[in-house]
Amino acid sequence: MPSTIAIQAERNKRVQRKLIGMTANAVLWLFLLAIALFTLFPVVMTILGSFKSNMELTSGATLLPQKWLFSNYVEAWQQANFSVYTWNSVFVSTAATIGTLLVASMAGYVVDRRNFVGKKLFVALQASTMFISIGAVVLRPQFELMVSLNLHTSLWGVVLILISAHATTFFILLGFFKAIPHDLDEAATLDGCSFTGIYWRIILPLLRPGLGVAALFAFRAAWNEYILPLVFTMNNPMQQTLTVGLANLRYANSAAMQTQLMMAGACLSMLPLLVVYLLANKTFMQVTAGSIKG
Amino acid sequence: MSKQKALENYSFIFPSFLLTMVLGIYPILWAIHYMFYDYKGYGEKLFIGLSNFKRLWYDELFWNSVWNTLIYAGGKIVITIPISLILAVILNRKIRGHNLLRAIYFMPTVISTAVISVVFFIIFNSYNGLLNQFLQKLGIISSSVEWLGPKYAMLTVIIVAIWGAIGNYMLLFLAGLQSIPEDLYESASIDGANAVHKFWYVTVPMLGPVMQMIILLAITISLKGYESIMVLTEGGPIGKTDVMFLYVYKLLFPVSTGSVYIQEIGYGSAVGFATAIIVGLVTCVYFILSKKMNKIY
Repeated sequence: MPSTIAIQAERNKRVQRKLIGMTANAVLWLFLLAIALFTLFPVVMTILGSFKSNMELTSGATLLPQKWLFSNYVEAWQQANFSVYTWNSVFVSTAATIGTLLVASMAGYVVDRRNFVGKKLFVALQASTMFISIGAVVLRPQFELMVSLNLHTSLWGVVLILISAHATTFFILLGFFKAIPHDLDEAATLDGCSFTGIYWRIILPLLRPGLGVAALFAFRAAWNEYILPLVFTMNNPMQQTLTVGLANLRYANSAAMQTQLMMAGACLSMLPLLVVYLLANKTFMQVTAGSIKG
Repeated sequence: MSKQKALENYSFIFPSFLLTMVLGIYPILWAIHYMFYDYKGYGEKLFIGLSNFKRLWYDELFWNSVWNTLIYAGGKIVITIPISLILAVILNRKIRGHNLLRAIYFMPTVISTAVISVVFFIIFNSYNGLLNQFLQKLGIISSSVEWLGPKYAMLTVIIVAIWGAIGNYMLLFLAGLQSIPEDLYESASIDGANAVHKFWYVTVPMLGPVMQMIILLAITISLKGYESIMVLTEGGPIGKTDVMFLYVYKLLFPVSTGSVYIQEIGYGSAVGFATAIIVGLVTCVYFILSKKMNKIY
């Protein structure tokens, strides 16, 4: 009977298609999991490694620690100076974030709400600082400037330089300013509120979502910064931030390298942002994605 | 009244303007000034005209670093962009667990490059490094591989760069994908297109302009990156991973790297300037070559 043959062939074809689909699906998931594993590997190794002994780290080839040594953290915190590094990082990042938000929101407020001579030039100036880069050369005049202002012995110099790189924050906030209706300012002006008053009492509270996003970005940039604090604290170990103090540990020769302390230190430096990321990863993605849509 | 308004305007702009000029623009002018001088950071500043650029032209270390930069950036981009694009296309189909996977892939962007490079330094260390331990335990290799040695160092620093970049570009592609209208895929389905067809004939062409911008971003970022190399190899061994921006750094701050360099502020400024020009040139060439991507057909 020709019809049964046709049905048989149809069925074979369907089975074949299903098999291809399943193989494609398996390949796809293998790819997804491989990249996920690659991404997670160093972070998981850091977290697990921070509880291992130096011996186990350098010759154990184990995944999980044989014994969970919380003492690594105590040692890193007390003897390896990580309490100082952490405090310095917290100070630099907090001060730089507050400063960046203040400076960028003030400028954004005027640029969005007012017209003045040189406005276009100012916006162009901000944009140009994001694209022109001559590398580490600029650190030298920046350092000399801080020496002449006598700010090179404290971390305020680093903070000021971090604030000066506020162009990204400025443009992020500019986008959020546009969403605040102008009627509000006008109503407040009629009620006798001054320009500065409107900024403090109306604009800043309404800008809170934008400020939150921008703060996350400014804080991340400052917390993770390496070369700037390295140059400024080269001869001053008590001023070093987590990134600098941690990276300097690798200068010990291979045999004396305290790998377990480096892992604990790396964990201390990564965890705060990782925790924030767990809670607010959508916010982190928002701005990155926004930069391409605009 | 308007005078008061102007005063308000400029006083609100002032902090931003002052910081940008003093710490952003002035250092660049400073470098442009010193690139015509022979200045070592102490003692005499000698005006020597264009001699620094003549020296640069014959500086093998500089051209070596340019060459390394091109390999480093090229290797990073060629591997990162396709992986990121494929990840984005898959996750855009809202498969099971896409939110979790997206969060995992994007995670490296919150971790400090310097810190994770220290971790990679421990992983790739030839002496008792974690990777060598595991590979030996699994019997894949019999003796330690020098991942940071002359043969593999460039590969290693590229892998570390890829680690940090995949998630970022994936997210940019995802944003771009969301702007492609759904009906294009529907009509392609009606015409009998399968997933691969849809990718090549709908996604890729429609993504053209966005892809052009993303690759542009990738090029400029990759050409400027040197933080992770500084931590992993400091440009070594024997200059195999020395990139342009690292070379500039070492000319200006030789103290930190324990290298043989001496401080050369005048010459370093000239190299920094040349480096910026090279980045600009590569970007221009890319723009001309990629013009076609901007047209959706």
